[in-house]
Amino acid sequence: MSIFSAHDLTISFGGIKALNHVSFEIEKGAVYSIIGPNGAGKTTIFNCISGLYAPDHGEIIFQDMDITNLAPYKIAGLGIARTFQNIELFSRMTTMENLMLGRHLHMKTGLWSGVTLFSSNSKVSREEIVHRERVEIIVDLLDLQSARDVFVGELPYGSQKLVELARALALEPKLLLLDEPSSGMNNEEKHDLFYWIKDIRNLFDVTILMIEHDMNMVRDISDKVLAINFGKKITAGTPDEVANHPEVLKAYLGEEDA
Amino acid sequence: MFLQLIISGLSIGSLYALIALAMVIIYKASEVPNFAQGEMAMISTFVAYALLITAKASFVVSFLGALLFAVLLGMFIEFVALRRAKDPNILNLIIITLGFEMVLYGLASWKWGAEQKHLPFPISDTDVIQFGTVVVSHLDIATMVVALIVMITLFLFFRYTKLGIAMKATQQNVIAARINGIRTNRITSFTWGLSSLIGAVAGILLSPVATLDPNLMMDPLLKGFAAAVLGGMTTLIGPVIGGYLLGVIENLFGAYVSLEFKSVVAFLIIVFVLWFKPSGLFGKHYVKKV
Amino acid sequence: MSGLIAFPFISPNYYVYMLNYMAVNVIVAMGLNILIGYTGQISLGHAGFFAIGAYVTVLFIDKLHVPFFAALFVAALLAAAFGFVLGLPALRLEGPYLAIATLGFGMAIIQVIGRAAVFGGRNGLLVSKMSIGPYVLNTDKELYFMIIPMTVILVFAARNIVKTRVGRALVSIRDSDIAAETMGVNVTYYKTLAFAISAFYAGIAGGLYAFVIGFINPGSFTFILSILFLSMVVVGGLGSVLGAVMGGIFISFLNLKLESVQYIPGFGDMLVIISKKWMSVTGLPNISSIIFGLILILIVVIEPLGLYGFWIRTKKYWKTWPF
Repeated sequence: MSIFSAHDLTISFGGIKALNHVSFEIEKGAVYSIIGPNGAGKTTIFNCISGLYAPDHGEIIFQDMDITNLAPYKIAGLGIARTFQNIELFSRMTTMENLMLGRHLHMKTGLWSGVTLFSSNSKVSREEIVHRERVEIIVDLLDLQSARDVFVGELPYGSQKLVELARALALEPKLLLLDEPSSGMNNEEKHDLFYWIKDIRNLFDVTILMIEHDMNMVRDISDKVLAINFGKKITAGTPDEVANHPEVLKAYLGEEDA
Repeated sequence: MFLQLIISGLSIGSLYALIALAMVIIYKASEVPNFAQGEMAMISTFVAYALLITAKASFVVSFLGALLFAVLLGMFIEFVALRRAKDPNILNLIIITLGFEMVLYGLASWKWGAEQKHLPFPISDTDVIQFGTVVVSHLDIATMVVALIVMITLFLFFRYTKLGIAMKATQQNVIAARINGIRTNRITSFTWGLSSLIGAVAGILLSPVATLDPNLMMDPLLKGFAAAVLGGMTTLIGPVIGGYLLGVIENLFGAYVSLEFKSVVAFLIIVFVLWFKPSGLFGKHYVKKV
Repeated sequence: MSGLIAFPFISPNYYVYMLNYMAVNVIVAMGLNILIGYTGQISLGHAGFFAIGAYVTVLFIDKLHVPFFAALFVAALLAAAFGFVLGLPALRLEGPYLAIATLGFGMAIIQVIGRAAVFGGRNGLLVSKMSIGPYVLNTDKELYFMIIPMTVILVFAARNIVKTRVGRALVSIRDSDIAAETMGVNVTYYKTLAFAISAFYAGIAGGLYAFVIGFINPGSFTFILSILFLSMVVVGGLGSVLGAVMGGIFISFLNLKLESVQYIPGFGDMLVIISKKWMSVTGLPNISSIIFGLILILIVVIEPLGLYGFWIRTKKYWKTWPF
């Protein structure tokens, strides 16, 4: 059963077609990867899904609902969370606060009830505690204990990427979008990440859509792969099918002069 | 009547255009709306006054002296504070310009007091020339002509001179400009000097019709911002057109709607423009990439 | 705490007045900090909200005979409504444009007040004594027991707001509005909310200020006052509750002292001599503007976190001393 599908996605910026009639479909519980050279339009797909860009044409369906022109925060409310290629953390908040922000949609405290935080027994405090406990599970899973109370702006790059992943998980997404999760990581970190992504899929009942350059990782953990270039779909299929597709090879390795 | 209003609107509008232009030049270079722009022009005008009255210099010497002072002041502000900001985000840069606004305002009030002075001017604002039914004062004509000359010179400067092109390059991409051998720090300093110069021209042209006191540029500053916002802060032609438009609109509003609330027009324009076209009539909107 | 209660009984009246004045400014600084420090939205027009609070409170009491608390609350709500409206264009505006729009708002409010007869025009309005039910608060001391508890409550309320879910949402917008949106924060709602909260605080403060000073006119709410409010937040420390309190106290203290700078022993005499020689003696009080300006510039160049930043550094220094 497909949880997510995009049909005919098309968007252009100043005459350049960043996406040109791209369609694909994701099965529930799958790890689905998008590959393609730089500037192929991968992140543009993500931006369309999370509502940052409005596609010129086409529609995006999530759990049988058309989310094409919804505001980003409403899309998040339906259970789609994401990370960013160039890290968009709340740099002057601690790791813990970043993750608690991830719980924003699951918490209820508003302005008036927030004002009444005067004892550790108030409704507000109790809510904070409940959600802190949820967040701690994620902290433990991703080994972020030592970063807990550090301002994320001061963390090393690899840890920042993990905090971003943790923040997305805190939202309890049904669909998790990961934009180049392993970029800038060393081999050891990549190795850990690889197992964590598997764990996350198994533990959290989540579907993962991932943009990734590391072909080994893509082949190892993806159920399905979509290859695009110049905003157009080249092919989609199992990792091996895609990796051996002549057009994909051409896009990655270049064309040989005959 | 209508034509008369248009002409006098264009005259005051050309001053708004100059102020707007001065701000946009700095905005493009340092990415900060310069809230000290008005006071920089005000204190330069006071320098002209001091040279003229206290030092009894000639008009030419006084005005040129004031303009030179303006250039140095602009470069000084950039040099001592803006480039030294620890965390140069937009908020901090705005705070620096506000700081200078207060310092300059305080200095001028301390030195010259709050009582209103009159800057003698070689061109009369009561002698008039008649074109059919329209009457224009010599000063109005001079204002429009000087403003036009300044603007045309400025466009030629940015288009054809080495320094002008270097300034444009620095405004568009500091790093690329630096790689290509431009001393961007120095260029930014020059840009501030140039902007301050243009502002001072506006201040001197304004002082004969207004009274010279430390509040001289408070209102024109808001008008200049309104003009810049109206035209858009990413081009040079935008603020000029914005300035003329604002001058005319304001005049017509004063005559046909309400003289009392004439000075609120600038604010209304700011709000309307920002509401419907956030980057102004001629500006381009950039979207952050993620 | 007990010091705060005992204070008016042991100190001269002027200092009680001074504390009232400081408390009012702390309230404004607290609200403005929620907007600037926590949400990252600038306002150069807070004197406008302050003026709305003052005028509406006074007029509601004098003209409509509304009881004090109701009048103050209505005034603050009205200020908040203006804040909300001003916040709407703010949604689409980035830093520079927002600064200009709020600057224009502050100036426009003064224009309107200065020209409308109901507000007393340029001459302003005399404020009658505050009365709570049958009690009339005649002295600064009595006002003190009205104003200080309100200030304490408002400061704690602000602290609670920024520590909980709403506060995190505000900070997330400041640090990355794009990420905030994709994490489910309704940026539109929270940005306008921040404007409304800070305007509400300024409105309350304005209403209290009218009674502290006893007289209001358009000249009390100029652009310079907006910058003064801004400098409280900046000097105290952006994004810190303690900072807003420290900044409010420090800048108000300085402002009061500098009004009569020529009477400060030593320093004042020196200034008078300088004034006679090179400047003008009548213009001497304007020195406050120079000093505030310099402070703003120095803060940005030396310690963007303000007094709060210095405080943190000193604390660190003592904790790790002698290393």
